[in-house]
Amino acid sequence: MKRRKFDAAALPAKTAGAVDDRFQVATPLRKLLNKVFPDHWSFLLGEIALFSFIVLLLTGVFLTFFYEPAMTEVVYDGSYAPLRGTPMSAAYASSLDLSFDVRGGLIMRQMHHWAALLFMAAIVVHMLRVFFTGAFRKPRETNWIIGSLLFWVGFLAGFTGYSLPDDGLSGTGLRIASGIILSIPVIGSWVSSSIFGGEFPGTIIISRFFIAHVLLIPGLLVALISAHLGLVFKQKHTQWPGPGRTNENVVGERMFPRYALKQGGFFMVVFGVIALMGGLFQINPIWYFGPYEAWVVSAASQPDWYVMFLDGSTRLMPAWEISIPIGDGYVIPPLFWPTVVLPGILVGLSTMYPFLEARRLKDYKHHNLLQRPRDVPARTAVGAMAVSFYIVLTLSGGNDVIADKFHISLNAMTWAGRIGLLVVPPLAYYFTYRICLGLQQHDREVLAHGVETGIIKRLPDGRFVEVHQPLTPVDGHDGHAPALDYVGWVVPKKMNRLGALGPAIRGFFYPIEKPAEAPVSPGHPPVEPRPEREEIGSGESRR
Amino acid sequence: MSTHTEHQAPQGREPLDVNDPRLSRFDIVQEGARRDDIEIVHYEPQVVPGSKAERRLTRTVATMFLLTGVAATAFLAIYIWWPWNWEAGRGGDKYYTPLLGVTLGIALLGIGFGILTWGKKLLPKEVSIQDRHDQPGSPADRRITGETMLYMADELGVKRRPLLGISLLAGLAPVGAVVAAPLVGGLISNPHKNNQMFTTGFKPAEDGKRIRLVREDGRPIRPADVSVGGQLTVFPGIDGGVSNKHADSPTLLIHLREDDAQKSRAANERKGHGDYMWGNYVAFSKICTHAGCPASLYEQQTNRLLCPCHQSQFLITDNAMPVFGPANRPLPQLPIEVDEEGFFVARSDYTETIGPDFWERP
Amino acid sequence: MTSDNDRRRGLLARLRGRPVARSRGRRRLGAAVRLAAALMLAGGAYTVFAPGVQAQDNPPLSAAANEGKALFDVSCVTCHGRNAQGVEGRGPSLIGVGSASVEFQVSSGRMPMARQEAQAMRKPPQFTDEQVRQLGQYIQELGGGPQVPQGDLREGANLSTGGELFRINCSQCHAFGAGGGALSSGKYAPSLKPASDRQIYAAMLSGPQNMPVFGDNQISPQEKADIIAYIQETLKHDQDQGGFNLGRYGPSTEGLAIFLVGIVALVFASLWIAGKS
Repeated sequence: MKRRKFDAAALPAKTAGAVDDRFQVATPLRKLLNKVFPDHWSFLLGEIALFSFIVLLLTGVFLTFFYEPAMTEVVYDGSYAPLRGTPMSAAYASSLDLSFDVRGGLIMRQMHHWAALLFMAAIVVHMLRVFFTGAFRKPRETNWIIGSLLFWVGFLAGFTGYSLPDDGLSGTGLRIASGIILSIPVIGSWVSSSIFGGEFPGTIIISRFFIAHVLLIPGLLVALISAHLGLVFKQKHTQWPGPGRTNENVVGERMFPRYALKQGGFFMVVFGVIALMGGLFQINPIWYFGPYEAWVVSAASQPDWYVMFLDGSTRLMPAWEISIPIGDGYVIPPLFWPTVVLPGILVGLSTMYPFLEARRLKDYKHHNLLQRPRDVPARTAVGAMAVSFYIVLTLSGGNDVIADKFHISLNAMTWAGRIGLLVVPPLAYYFTYRICLGLQQHDREVLAHGVETGIIKRLPDGRFVEVHQPLTPVDGHDGHAPALDYVGWVVPKKMNRLGALGPAIRGFFYPIEKPAEAPVSPGHPPVEPRPEREEIGSGESRR
Repeated sequence: MSTHTEHQAPQGREPLDVNDPRLSRFDIVQEGARRDDIEIVHYEPQVVPGSKAERRLTRTVATMFLLTGVAATAFLAIYIWWPWNWEAGRGGDKYYTPLLGVTLGIALLGIGFGILTWGKKLLPKEVSIQDRHDQPGSPADRRITGETMLYMADELGVKRRPLLGISLLAGLAPVGAVVAAPLVGGLISNPHKNNQMFTTGFKPAEDGKRIRLVREDGRPIRPADVSVGGQLTVFPGIDGGVSNKHADSPTLLIHLREDDAQKSRAANERKGHGDYMWGNYVAFSKICTHAGCPASLYEQQTNRLLCPCHQSQFLITDNAMPVFGPANRPLPQLPIEVDEEGFFVARSDYTETIGPDFWERP
Repeated sequence: MTSDNDRRRGLLARLRGRPVARSRGRRRLGAAVRLAAALMLAGGAYTVFAPGVQAQDNPPLSAAANEGKALFDVSCVTCHGRNAQGVEGRGPSLIGVGSASVEFQVSSGRMPMARQEAQAMRKPPQFTDEQVRQLGQYIQELGGGPQVPQGDLREGANLSTGGELFRINCSQCHAFGAGGGALSSGKYAPSLKPASDRQIYAAMLSGPQNMPVFGDNQISPQEKADIIAYIQETLKHDQDQGGFNLGRYGPSTEGLAIFLVGIVALVFASLWIAGKS
């Protein structure tokens, strides 16, 4: 029997045809592949968070195969001799086994933990980028809110995960968490008792945290991240202003092939950095902390960095208790304000900020172009204030380590934090505001008079002046170069930056080059630019 | 480029016939982009095919991919053959995790930077412009959608038949409660069961027997077991006393020096706790009244007790009053004495609430 | 025992006679004096008989103690006075502190102090081991007090018990990795990394500075051996399993590392990726 000749070359086309017959994907796929993304390094910060989340899912699934979320008491009998014979919870014993008796388990644990820290760090850095460039403005307020929520859900994910090994350090953190819940007026003791299944620590909290950490919170994170990305997709990415870039278009690269390749490569880089950190830097050495015992504690007990600001606010809080002399008397403990009220205010302020700013500026237009931080001094200064507030709190969260290692009195550190919290943010506001104005001024000066050359010229009347290199050709009438308008983008400040800026489209400070200069490949002939693009400047400032 | 002149009028042009055999693949790609309102305004190869630069870049990318292969193989070899079981000391097992991390990291970075170099250096540079189309729908569309939804409400006739709406709400509300009930009902737990928030393991037994103070291994404590200027963590000598089951019971037994003991006694008397000390021994709860950490950094010269979590400081010789930091309440004191056999016992349970403050603490 | 009781009374009388405001060093040594007194009173596990009843009587000293006295009269007498009676406002009496205290303070370089300060710092020691032994012998024969036993201080140690005891008694101040930690108002618990077996033992016995005393009645010599073994072998000698330990400062340095290493590396990567080639 003679079989039909198999044509391998036609196979992809045939398969693709068959798929489209059934699912009608050709048109939507074309749209997807053609989608244009603007290109700037700061747009990749959010990706770090996304990619570390993927690493978290991968390593986390591995960990669940070996971790036992139970608080039943066992006697450790694993490889790690200094703990052998110690009674401990099954959760802690299985975490030790993961570190010492599962081949490659330790690097998975460490990668998981580093990825978690990186996830939170990237979220914060990404959030700062979005804030300082005004990317949260209409129509993207919803996505800003989702992003803020992602921080808090990530915070919960981190805290529940941190607690799972049930070691001495995390148990202390859990104890503080129970104290925080207890401090809520009226319902505190009921909420705490309900969460812990009785009095702290009870016997159920680890398994409850486990299901929250591996199912509920990741589910919520996946949902929020999908919505976040979906909205970026739907609303299209913001872009920096520049030649050819308007509020109505997106200038960049098509998703396929270059953008997709870069994203894939960047994922591998993020994964690689996490792997290197997971292997080279020890994190959370639970075997030194011992099992959680309510009477054991270590000097310098700190939470992970993203919780440290709450620890700091708690340390700085003066011992102000509110007593309500009704009946037997009721109290609102000092713990309530820095750990429940403060985060509440922070959530409220951060989610509401886009609306507050729009209201203040009466600005309800669509904004797809980003702003340089210097161009919006008030917002930048508010952001600097918030950042300095957060940094003072975070440093105070580690003030005992700082006090010890730099030989400062612990009490002095606390007072420095208390005063700093009140003094530093207003100072940050003031100085940031002034710096922004100064930078703006310099930009305008360069646009009007040109770049400082460093060449000093003596005028006939004896004065010395510095020669400025104008950015535009001198026109014949009065020997002055006409001032350029500021377009919200980088202005060259040094001679060697002229032309080196490379805006996305050539033609910002020098005319669009003739494509003939570029190498020509027959498959991909260079494309002429749109003729309607106007040429800005030429001559003097050209390379 | 003469072949592209016809592309320069993006608006109002005829779509190309993509089946035209004269079109190159790039022409078709460009046509596809146009159909998505994308103008590829700049598309420029970065390397000349066959040039030295291209060969060099190809070699670089290939090296990175091969490096990945080598590193991944090394990872596997280390994973399988490197001694990894924990041993005391500074043996080779300590390099297992770092070596895995380095090889895995190199493998991933190799492939990552390989792909990035490929995409960044070998693919043509491009600048495309896409229209956003984020204008709201036309007024007509908005109106149509709005009317459609209102039409639905009209047809349901809730306005004319209010009973339907009311009964629906009345019917659904309990269903919502049904969803919440098992969750709330299952989780809720009375914090005041057995008066647990106000008692500790030192509460005398049913028959009035006083509870002994024991060490972490269960041994009872004689006064001679604590040095002057020394501290000892003690627990209630009951079943499960030295466990997290009685997380609020750990207590710090301190043997004060004579002059400090006098100060402490005087302070006790001022507070009406005159008989809480035994000899020069005092016992305070180890659980911080601020957030519940074990406050146990005892400074025997200054008699300060520091909590390492939030730096509250308590003065032991003044009824453990907080003197610094966020704690607002002194550490509760355990009244102690020595029983007939010469061991420390708690005369009664703590007379104040242990641990962090809460709303209904009297 | 009569002589002991006499001594105790004498000591208490001296204590009462002292002004209230004393330097911390004086109080510390006062504590050691009373520790010795209490030990004898209790007839506890560790009683050392002082060869002489009153130090002023110039009891016959052994050869080593005579050497020690010679050293003392050159280097220590300025602050601690003749016959180690102490000098008001400069240095406390050393009667009854025992050789353990001398060994800890002198061999770790804390004594002699360069100047009066809140807490004596560890410095390179100024005396050889032999001289430290002689000084200790002198103080021991002068007033008695706790002594660090000779021989292997880690013999028959159980690391697991040591770890447990370390976490209950030591880690709250010296931290889980024995790196030390801050105490109130500028005081601190030092790092245990440079400490030798004998120094750790002596510190537990004598409770230097603000450290509580862990006498042999409270933590038995065997338990001390366990703790020392845990510190020296597990915390100090064993290499970390998971790579560089970032100083074992806990989450603070981990947070620093994720920004300084992770975020910085990836920001540079994204600068390169999005940069113009």
